[in-house]
Amino acid sequence: MKDFLLILRTEGNVWTDLSPEQLQHHIKNGGAYIGRLMKEGKLKSANPVDKGSRIVTSANGVLKDGPFNESKEVIAGYFLIQANDMDEAVEIAKANPIFNDISTRIEVHPMMPIGE
Amino acid sequence: MSTQPEISQLVDHLFRHESGRLVAVLTRIFGIENLELAQDVVQDALVEAIHHWQYKGVPDSPSAWLFRVAKNKAVNQINKGKKKIPYSSDVMHYLQSKWTVTPALEHLFSEEEIQDSVLRMIFACCHPAISADSQIALALRTLCGFNIPEIARAFLTTEENIAKRLVRARKSIREDKVAFEIPAGAELEKRLDAVLATIYLLFNEGYNASNGNELIRYELCEEAMRLVQIVAGSKMVRFKENAYGLLALMYLNASRFKARLDEKGNILTMAQQDRSKWDANLRDKGLACLNEAGKDNKIGFYHLLAGISAHHSMAPDYKATNWQAILYLYDCLVNIDNSPLVLLNRSVAVCNVRGAEKAIEELQRIENIPSLKNYHLLYSTKAEFYIQLKEYSQAADCLERSIRLTSVPAEKQMLQIRLDSCKIS
Repeated sequence: MKDFLLILRTEGNVWTDLSPEQLQHHIKNGGAYIGRLMKEGKLKSANPVDKGSRIVTSANGVLKDGPFNESKEVIAGYFLIQANDMDEAVEIAKANPIFNDISTRIEVHPMMPIGE
Repeated sequence: MSTQPEISQLVDHLFRHESGRLVAVLTRIFGIENLELAQDVVQDALVEAIHHWQYKGVPDSPSAWLFRVAKNKAVNQINKGKKKIPYSSDVMHYLQSKWTVTPALEHLFSEEEIQDSVLRMIFACCHPAISADSQIALALRTLCGFNIPEIARAFLTTEENIAKRLVRARKSIREDKVAFEIPAGAELEKRLDAVLATIYLLFNEGYNASNGNELIRYELCEEAMRLVQIVAGSKMVRFKENAYGLLALMYLNASRFKARLDEKGNILTMAQQDRSKWDANLRDKGLACLNEAGKDNKIGFYHLLAGISAHHSMAPDYKATNWQAILYLYDCLVNIDNSPLVLLNRSVAVCNVRGAEKAIEELQRIENIPSLKNYHLLYSTKAEFYIQLKEYSQAADCLERSIRLTSVPAEKQMLQIRLDSCKIS
């Protein structure tokens, strides 16, 4: 088993851009998906991103922080999952019902384990 | 609308059956160091249930209602306590994320996960870091929904004393970092032995002595049987022969529970008991478990004891008891456990197969062992052998000694009756 970080990027924000019915649909299906991963022991954690993100950058040795300016694409949240390999992790990402609710891209990053 | 006594009766019943399950789930959520908090939240949910049901009537599924209230209270507690109480449980992070909180609660309150939590609680309560008397008090409190006065009544001690035992138990849990988990691999079998030993102790507390509180004592036996059922029924426990062996022993012994005493509360020996009072339903359950315990051809301590108990259960009267078979089982038992107590019990079988003289010889070989020297049953058993040989003055000496050594009134009384009959003979 290996850890994978799934970063969800959506065009627009599910919490503000969906109609109440759509949001209800989103929460119901998302909950079932997360519950299934939990039951299979594959979900380590998952969190949606709150508003107010900031970004820290270094320019000429000086650290600066400022608002994280999102274009029309926003980071909706992350999943930290366990999967046998990248193929399985990709399948898990594909099964996320968020694709039905809003235009979404999910990045699948393998995490480097200790000793490699 | 239900009347108040009906509602509190219903809540009592629910409390016994559901509180252990609820406390187990909430302990999984809050972490075992917050066991008391879990109990308080369950208590709160029950109080709310009583109030609500008094006004609105009892819902169709009171149990589901209670679980829903407890679930909501748990969420409130987490939100309220976020900064104050550090929760250590491995599921807490699920409950603090907007995406995972609802699926996690549904998952934790599913029947499968509730059973998993209850089994974790059984292993935690029977953890070897906790002393035996505290283990039993803790198991009764958390798993069986007994309140402190009830536990005190069952153990003939003060409420203060029981409260102290519970405090000590919780302290051991904190200091020895008792984990809220089901042990894995080789550790599981070792810990399972400890779990079964504690539950057997709990059963015997209910079964052995008598103090007029027969009702609560029988409840102890029932709870002990329920806990072993949970262990034997779990998918997590792979080797079940000892659990089934113990369950068989408990069912078979419990089948004679109501025949152990006469109407004055005097203890009756196996020979004196009215066998029509034996509970055939429990006996059959016991025999079925005995069969289950023997499936993998490994024979353990409880299995052998259950086998002996089964021979008594199946004999139509005392004379028809198959003592030859019982003696054989005792011989097997001695190979596993040659403790003085086993040898003492074996001597009864020896007496019935080889005669009282041989049995007295057996006892003479063990009677100087320190743990037996002051054990009243050694002398009462020996007295019975002397009575068979019509050596009444020797028997009377033994009985007098036995009376001095026991503190249980019903036992003293039974021995006194025996002593009086010796003096007449």
